[in-house]
Amino acid sequence: MSDAATKPVHDQALCVFAAKDFASGAHPVWCPGCGDYGVLAGLERALATLGKPPHEVVLVSGIGCSSRLPGYMSTYGFHGVHGRALPVATGIKLVRPELEVIAVGGDGDGYSIGGNHFIHACRRNADILYVVMDNRVYGMTKGQPSPTTEPDWDSDIAPGGIGLRPFNPLAIAIASGANYVARGFSGDPDGLANLIVDGIRWPGFAFIEVLSPCITFRPEQSEWKKVVRPTSLTIEQDRAAATAWCSATTASAWVSCTVATARRPRRHCSRKSRLPISNANS
Amino acid sequence: MTAGAVFLRAAANAGYYGMMTQLFGAQVRGGESAALVQVSTEPIEAQPDRYDLFVALDWDKVEQFAAEIPLDEASVIVADPEAGAVPAGIAKSKGRVVSLKMSDPDAIRLERGLYGKRVNMFAAGAVCALIGVDAKHVQAAIENIFEGKGAELIAANVKGAVAGAAAAPGLTLNFRLDQATLAARWLISGNQALALGALRAGVRFVGCYPITPATDLVEWLAPHLKKLGGRLVLGEDELAAINLALGASYAGTPAMTVTSGPGFSLMVETLGLAVAAEIPMVLIDVMRAGPSTGIASKTEQSDVNLAIYGAHGDAPRVVLAPISVADCINTAEYAVYVAESLQLPVIVLSDQSLGQATTVIDPSSERPKPLKRRTNGVAADKPFKRYAIGPDPITPMPLPGTPGREWVAEGLTHSEAGLPASGAGVHVAQINKRAKKVQRFDPGKYWGESWGEGDIAVLAFGSTIGPARAAARRLAAAGHPIRVIALRVLSPLPMAALARALDGVHRIIVVEQNHGAQLYHHLIGQKAIPPSAESVARPGPLPYRPSEIASYVV
Ligand SMILES: Cc1ncc(C[n+]2csc(CCOP(=O)(O)OP(=O)(O)O)c2C)c(N)n1
Ligand code: SF4
Ligand SMILES: [Mg+2]
Repeated sequence: MSDAATKPVHDQALCVFAAKDFASGAHPVWCPGCGDYGVLAGLERALATLGKPPHEVVLVSGIGCSSRLPGYMSTYGFHGVHGRALPVATGIKLVRPELEVIAVGGDGDGYSIGGNHFIHACRRNADILYVVMDNRVYGMTKGQPSPTTEPDWDSDIAPGGIGLRPFNPLAIAIASGANYVARGFSGDPDGLANLIVDGIRWPGFAFIEVLSPCITFRPEQSEWKKVVRPTSLTIEQDRAAATAWCSATTASAWVSCTVATARRPRRHCSRKSRLPISNANS
Repeated sequence: MTAGAVFLRAAANAGYYGMMTQLFGAQVRGGESAALVQVSTEPIEAQPDRYDLFVALDWDKVEQFAAEIPLDEASVIVADPEAGAVPAGIAKSKGRVVSLKMSDPDAIRLERGLYGKRVNMFAAGAVCALIGVDAKHVQAAIENIFEGKGAELIAANVKGAVAGAAAAPGLTLNFRLDQATLAARWLISGNQALALGALRAGVRFVGCYPITPATDLVEWLAPHLKKLGGRLVLGEDELAAINLALGASYAGTPAMTVTSGPGFSLMVETLGLAVAAEIPMVLIDVMRAGPSTGIASKTEQSDVNLAIYGAHGDAPRVVLAPISVADCINTAEYAVYVAESLQLPVIVLSDQSLGQATTVIDPSSERPKPLKRRTNGVAADKPFKRYAIGPDPITPMPLPGTPGREWVAEGLTHSEAGLPASGAGVHVAQINKRAKKVQRFDPGKYWGESWGEGDIAVLAFGSTIGPARAAARRLAAAGHPIRVIALRVLSPLPMAALARALDGVHRIIVVEQNHGAQLYHHLIGQKAIPPSAESVARPGPLPYRPSEIASYVV
């Protein structure tokens, strides 16, 4: 494994667009304090940095609080049905490769009902970016455990906890053939913007899992900002090693990480900031 | 199978019309099978009441097919005595059994080792000779069917067929057909014809998942699509298949998905999305016997309800059904134009019986007039009103990549600008907008077809039209003229055209191949036919025979 040195994206941006050019002006339905605001901000900043005009970007989503995001941006969008964002995004990209296609959604949408599409989208490795706002809960349906929920998390539908081992999205993505996987934090939109810029520039399927607290049904997640700490980009040619690394790192610690396999980005990719540095260890 | 294919193609080469359907046992690969071939100087659109000639290559598990191969005392059963006694299920037809030693006596040992006893080519050669198809047509058929398999294999097969033809006169059977008239015709299956029509209409993206009896449609289409610069994506399931197609269509490429009942059930979710978000797409359902996994390889017309009404909520769409194998081309082409111009899903209901019937057709020189998607749209204030409510329910859907027209395709109830909304006003306005598109749809002459005179009408769709027409011809010859009305547009029902076609009719008989009388109830429910109309409805997989319909009518 090797660590890549990085530079801040904003240094090199030809700022034709400002982040606000990517906002639709529609008022989000999200609860005040929802992590998804940070993801929206991160996406707007990343697209401004990339200098992509809004009409060349298509945001595709399924159903959930997080999946409402396309309506809040000024780009083209496709708000489809629950769990099916990735095949729609793939269909768009295959016939219009010049468009920047970004799928977004939640952990329930992407890992549960859309889990099969997730695996096969990684396998297909089309040049799209997939951002999952993981709050470890079905937010929109008011608080049921999702595939990433801790086994002992108590809820009305599963008193005492669901009792199942959580799904490890990063390890599954890398093992299934995604070229770029990263975990970011909605509490750091700038750091997230950097990951998004990287993911978009990286050829093939890029997957970014964003820890995005659900303030309403998982209020304890507001503590995430104290414990999350960053790591840096790792380029690993050996997919099995990358999978094992992802599995070990993301399951055991509150870290963000970026692992990329295969080739380097086609375009120069530079960045520095990662997740907010916090001293708390997990 | 190959024997049937050679026979049909040789007859077609000689200028005859023909049709071949196939029967398979439960074996995944190999195993018992039967090819049912008809040839005639007249076009053929239905399976017959009976077969004149049954040639047994062997008797293995043949009785399972007995119900599908009607034979009678006038039929001739040709079999090699080496294959053993005629099984009871076949013998009970009382058909005359004629012995024929079928292995090619001149085959050298190497040929036998390599190509088996070549009884199939022997049989094809014998049958072709019996009906009077010249050896040169048989040779051409073999060359076509074994194209690319090497000269040695072709020569061995031709040799087998020649041996069969030489043995034919010894049978002293008379099955000679009248001289055929040569014309430029096509040998095509319904599935191939649907694929061709879709390609003609500009479909350049196909999302699919394998399912019998729709797979051969996509397999035939794949290389052609590739040549045309299109793209076929094999999804991980039908949910993916239809969403892949919908994404491609949203991005501006006419797209379709192809499936059969079990896959269609999975696709219903996204069918509703295509309606709500107003995205064009074509869904071809090659129906098979259901419910659930049903019978994969056999026909039924039991997805009518699913096609017309499947989806939660009010989800208006257009449902078409091809009128014949030949018409599959135009119906598919038309389906794409309707989808593109109305911005909604169009379902094409075919069935195994049409889809896998290889048929000699006279290709139509007429094609539907192209209709295009509206992509323009006036420069507007932001946000762009993709779902604007106005006099025209069809509103422009700019292609992604168009500056200043950004919009979000939305499956939730939405405002004119495509933002999720839950007010009563927007909900009703958008429901009405989508309903209006379908209400105002006028298929013109594409509503369906009607033949014949008389005050009795048989109303049918898809593969039941052929036997209904054959029954009508027979009844007319016997002095009982009837009308046959074929519906191409099953939904929304072409009320005015149907009323015209039914003018002066006092007895209406709706014939369909499902137990629930799905089309009949649709017609009654929409008040397209009076309550006095009669229903002839029974499930598959046995095809309707002309005699079954004729004997019901009189
Ligand atoms: C087919 C279907 N099943 C169930 C639902 C109900 N539903 C809406 S959102 C959702 C879960 C969303 O969870 P997640 O993707 O994690 O999004 P979040 O709201 O947490 O951002 C469910 C089950 C639905 N809309 N469609
Ligand atoms: S319920 Fe949770 S995920 Fe949904 S908007 Fe509120 S905070 Fe965000
Ligand atoms: Mg969630």
